[in-house]
Order: sequence, then C-alpha cells, then structure tokens
Amino acid sequence: MNYPNWEVPGIGLPWVIGIIAIFHIMISHFAVGGGLYLAMAERKAMKEGRTDWFPLLERHSKFFLILTGIFGAVSGVGIWFAIGLIQPEATSTLIHNFVFGWAMEWVFFMVELTSAIVYYYTWNRIPQALHLKVGWLYAIASVCTLVIINGILTFMLTPGQAWLSVAGTGNESAYFWNAFFNPTYWPSLVLRILVCLSLAGVWALVTFSRLDEATHGDSKVKLVRWSTSWLAPAFILMPFVFAWYAAMVPATNKHLLELGMSTIGSGSFTQITRVVLMSVMSTATVAGVAYLFAYKYPRDFSPGHATAILFLALIATGSTEYAREAIRKPYVIGSHMYSNSVRVREVAQFNKEGYLTHSLWAPKDMTLAMDVGRTMFRGQCMSCHTIGGYRSMKHFLEERDYKAIGNVLKMLHENKKDSPYHNFMPPVVGTPEEILDLQIYLAALNPPPNKGAVASR
Amino acid sequence: MAKIFEYLDERLSITELRKFGEKKAVPLHKQSFWYYWGGISLLCFLVQIVTGVMLIIYYKPGPDAYNSVRSITYDVEFGWLIRSAHSWAATIFLVSIFVHMFSVYFMKAYRSPREFGWWSGIALLILGLLFGFSGYLLPMDQLSFVATKVGLAIPENIPVVGHAIANLMRGGYEVSEITVQRFFAWHAVVLPLIYIPLLMFHLWLVQKHGNAVPPSEEAKPEKERMTIPFFPNFLMKDLALWLVTLNVIAFFASIFPQDIGKIADPLGPAPVGIHPEWYFMSSFETLKIIGKLIPGTIGEAVGITIFTLGLVLWALIPFYDVRSLAGKRGRLATYFGLFCLAVLIVTTLLGYVMA
Repeated sequence: MNYPNWEVPGIGLPWVIGIIAIFHIMISHFAVGGGLYLAMAERKAMKEGRTDWFPLLERHSKFFLILTGIFGAVSGVGIWFAIGLIQPEATSTLIHNFVFGWAMEWVFFMVELTSAIVYYYTWNRIPQALHLKVGWLYAIASVCTLVIINGILTFMLTPGQAWLSVAGTGNESAYFWNAFFNPTYWPSLVLRILVCLSLAGVWALVTFSRLDEATHGDSKVKLVRWSTSWLAPAFILMPFVFAWYAAMVPATNKHLLELGMSTIGSGSFTQITRVVLMSVMSTATVAGVAYLFAYKYPRDFSPGHATAILFLALIATGSTEYAREAIRKPYVIGSHMYSNSVRVREVAQFNKEGYLTHSLWAPKDMTLAMDVGRTMFRGQCMSCHTIGGYRSMKHFLEERDYKAIGNVLKMLHENKKDSPYHNFMPPVVGTPEEILDLQIYLAALNPPPNKGAVASR
Repeated sequence: MAKIFEYLDERLSITELRKFGEKKAVPLHKQSFWYYWGGISLLCFLVQIVTGVMLIIYYKPGPDAYNSVRSITYDVEFGWLIRSAHSWAATIFLVSIFVHMFSVYFMKAYRSPREFGWWSGIALLILGLLFGFSGYLLPMDQLSFVATKVGLAIPENIPVVGHAIANLMRGGYEVSEITVQRFFAWHAVVLPLIYIPLLMFHLWLVQKHGNAVPPSEEAKPEKERMTIPFFPNFLMKDLALWLVTLNVIAFFASIFPQDIGKIADPLGPAPVGIHPEWYFMSSFETLKIIGKLIPGTIGEAVGITIFTLGLVLWALIPFYDVRSLAGKRGRLATYFGLFCLAVLIVTTLLGYVMA
C-alpha cells in the first residue's frame, strides 16, 4: 500500500485511536454543550438577577477553557496524528473528499478557541450584555464544529449510494453534499447534541460540587439542580433518537449488534453486543444517579458524587463510541474501503497482481516466506490485530494447526457471503503465493510450531 | 393514586414506616462514605440471588454440569451475561464485605453494644467465602476441578477429623460428579438457608443500634455531631450507589465475561498458571510461606493453627478493646487491624507475583 506500517504491541493500533478518541470525545462534546451551558446560565443569571452566579460561572469558564482549550485541542490533534499513522489511506480519502468541510471546520475552530479565551478574560471587564454575546458566539461556533465533523464521521459508516457510485472515478468531490448529508447524518447529529447537553451538565456538576455549602448554600442548590436538568433531554429522548439512528444503519452493520447475544466465542466479534449493553446500561442510569445524588440533595452534593456521575458518563460515552466505530466492520469507510485499507474495487486487482506489488513500502527483495508473511501480516492484519496483545493472533490461532490456519485464510480470501467472517472481517487479498507465506508466518506464531507447520515454501 | 396509597397505607402502615425512617438518623461526617459498603454488599447478594435463580433454570448438576454451563455461555441468549453478572457480583460482593469489615473495625463499631453485629458480620463473611468456594466447582472445567481438589486438601490436614470432613464434602475420595451435586446443594440451598436468616439478624442489629461513629467523631460534643435522616436522604444516596454498583457489575460482566475452560479431566495436567481466587490468595500464600519455613505435615498443621488463632483473635476483639474512647487498648487494636490489613494485601499481591 502507499504508506509504511506502524506497529504498537500490546494495546494495538485500534486502542491508540480508541484511548485518545474516548478522552477527546468526553472533552469535545463538553466544549459544544458547555458553550451553550455558559451562555444560557449567564443569560438566566442576568434575567433573574442572580448576581451571585457570575463569580461561580467565571470559575466554571476557567475550568472549561483549560479543559477544552488545552486538553480538548491537544487530544483533537492527537486523533489526527494517530489516524494518520494507523489508517493513512482512509485519512487521505477523508482529506481529499472533504477539503471544503475541513476548511469550514478550521474556521469554526479558530472562532471557537478565540471566543472561549475572550469570554473568560473579559468577565467583569466588558459590559455584561456584550460578554453574553461573546458567549453566544462561542456557543454557535462550537455547535457549527459539531455540525461539520458529524458529516465526516457519519460518512465513514454510511457514505451513501450517490457518493459510492462515483468513488474512485476522481469525481468524488462533486458529490460532497451527498456524502456529507449521508443517511445517518441527522440522527447522529441529534444524538450528539443530546450527549453534548448531558456532558455540559455533568462537567458543571464537577465544578459546582466543590462549592462549600456553608458559604454558597443557596447558589449551590440552584446551580446543582439546574445543571442536573441538562441531563433530562438526553434521558427522555435518547431511546427514540437511538431507534431512529439504528433504523438508518444498514442491516449488515446492525447484524453485528446481534452476534454476541448468545455467545462470547472468541473471534466472532461478540464484544460489540457486550459494549452496546454497557452503553445502554450506563446511559439509562446516569440520569438516575444524577437525580438521586445531585437534584434531590444538592446541599450534600460532593466531589465524590460528581466523580461517580462523571465515571458513568465516561463509560456511556466510551462504550457508545466504541460500538459506533466497531459496527463499521469490515469497512473503515462503508462499502468503499476495508478496515485493512484495501479498497473494495482493488480486491480483484490485488488478488491477480499481488498485494505486495502494490505496497510501496514493502521491501522488494524478500526471498524468505517468513519475511513475505510478516509483511502481509503488517499490511493486512495489524490495523486491528496484534501478535500477542489486543485481538491477539496467537490466541486466535493457538488451537489451529497449519492446515486449519490455511482453511481460515482461504475462507477470508474467498470472502463468500455465507462465510462466518464475511460480516466483520475484510478479505485477505494477494496471490496464492503471498497467502501461503502468510499462512507459514501465522503458523509459526505459536511455539512450538503448530502440528504440520512447514518452515518454508 | 391517592386512593391506592390510602388503601395500601391502611393495610401496610406505610406512613408509620416512613415516619420511622425519617426519625432514624445516620451520622454525617468525613468517614460517612464507609457506611455505604454494607449496602453495596447487600445489593451484590440480591444480584446473585436473581442471576443464580436464572442460572438454575439451565444448569444441570452432576455429569452434565460442564455441558450445561457451556450451553449457558455459548448457546443460551444472554446466558453469558447472567453467568458473568453472577460471577462478578460475587467478586464485588466479597470486596465490599472486606471493605465493610475493615471500616467497621477501624470505626470501632464492634464495641458494646454492637458485638453481635461484629460476630454475625464475620459469620456472613465466612459464609460468603464458602459461597465462593462451592460455586467455583460448578462449571466442572479443568481449572475449577483442580482448584477444588487443592482446596479440599486443606481441611484434610486438620488432625483426626480432616479426612472425614474432606470425604464428606467430596462425596468420596476424589472430586467427581457427586462432589458437584453436593457443592450445588451447598451453594444453592444449604448456604442460602443459613445466610439469609443470619443476614436478617445482622440488619436488625444495625437497625437496633444504629451506625457507630469513628473515635474522632465520638470525641465531639453531642450538639456538634451532624446527622441526616435515614429516609429519604441516606436511602436515596444508597440507591444512587446501587445504580453505580450495577454499572460496575455490568461493566465487568460485559467487558470481561466469564469463559469456560476444557472439561475436567482427572488425569489431565493442571492448567498453566493456576492460582486460587483472589479472596483465597492471602491464606494460600501464607500457608505456602509457613510450609517453606516448617516443611511437612507439621508445617501444614502450624499454618492452620495460626489461621484459626488469628480468626479467633479477630472475632474476639470486642472483648479486648472495650473502652468507648481511644485509649491504649484502642490504639493497640487499631495497630492489630492495620497489621492484619497489611498481611492480607501483601500476601495477596505476593501470591499473584509468585503465580
């Protein structure tokens, strides 16, 4: 392929993105919801004459600025850095296809970051009404960043038939808006806005849990209760919006959700079902915990309680994002590019001419089967698997001898619709010789060598 | 709605119960967090009852034990979830009991008039460990088979009656299908029959004597001490923590589901890296250390004797530390507690490192 491979043993490449992404999402969604929260809180304080709220909101906006402006921005760049290394082909497709989208996104980012800084540093320095306008400017800019990025993220799951019909022709950018407003765009946008509002409430609870009841009793009660109410829209609407989202997801992807209902068999991608269960459980209960801890007894509400709510929100967000990423399998861009960066239209060509022939960074002078096999593994398996860590190949193959590994590879290569792997594994591409070398390499992973393993071609 | 409430109130005295709950006060201080651990263990026990009943529907003790658990894990819809929730709830159940016991100890809540609360709590912990031990064999895979074999070798070392006890538990000289049936009877019938009344007794004592306060709080004048009503304040927070705990159970059950190994083979080797469950690791490691210092049967007997003595000392602490405020005896009791806690943690960690 066109780019070198990056190897991360242990956690593997998916979790490099996963860890950064889950951390980033907790903060970036707060950046969107928190902007609305601050503007609405300031407006409410002005309207109701709650001057006691202003210093507390200033304190919250400082926390907000540090968390979103530093950790949010850094982790956002971190995601770019990581996906550029892990899925360079897919990243390249996103960049080329959405140049205009990225340009808009960066404009909104600039407005967002600038207004966040201005908002914090102009507390008590400019007229209150003008300060509120800065708050609204931030809120609108941050919502716009979500509006844009949502189009690109949902494109990866459901690029839409119009875009797919021109994919690979060089005419893709003419279908920018079709790709952008793809089938899952709107339900995903509503879902994310609900999450943003919830996280705005959750993070505000973190700030206001630290208020001393003796000195800020009344303000604490009001702010804690008001912050808790930000979880209500998500709690009420989430099931309906989720059903809407699920209705727009292609049936083959939805099928992945059912794989783990009756089994935890390894290698059958059952963890999506398990993670979705986790997501449903934590989403359904986080509002209940917030109600019981915060809304009912705001005076007793402590940082420990806030941490428990944040912990649940983290599980809900993390598991939902994991599931959203995982149901794209076997693609990284739905029906266009497999998760091993091979485009659907390239499969036949690679099978005929060789995978490594088209891999620019593969050494050209490999003579040993093990070297060819290892390069095949790095190119086609390592974007999801590791040798001995996450989704360990050693573990998957420990019960299989040389012949059985060959059968699995044959099944993956043929990628027939009735294959048990068809719905979540990309096809293994390459000439018969390349696949044989991959078989030799995989058979040698488990020492002592699997029964009947052949050391060379 | 009001009419329904009125109907129920007349018959069940709900208002009276509510008033009672409102009157009952729970101390509020910096260490109040520890009061919730008893409730967490109660929730875990309830989860185990519910999931246990569901598992019984598909589980077949005896020769089909392994295949039935395999079927629960790999065929029955969400069977893996129920089994994993049962197992993880058991782990969190024991963790919370240990935390609860040490918090009670360091708050000195074993002192008069709460001695029976302390003793019944220790009995509940021992029963909890027996639940764990008896449940471990039920899948009848190679790991549980070997672990039970090793576990039953320990009572065998008790002088005079050791063999008889071990044979009674095994249903013969070897761990077999009969042992599974016996363990199932213990796990699902006998132990709950003992545990539930004892738990009721324990809860009644907590209700009767109320929550103890730590010595630092005890030293304060009565009017400086803060409390919250049990109902609704404490109960609502308890419920919130129950929801958090349910999430923790669901998290572990979903992300780390309980798998099943190969079918038990009496002639097969022990699985690589086999070690006791974490709650037996400390005692296992301590016995191993004593066994190295004093080899042979004498060492094993010494180990068991030390354990028994330690447990007796732990249980009898209310007779030693009798003062209501921290005095010399109180301090010594605290040091003893810290020592036991340190031994528990260090030997457990050591066990994992050595394994």
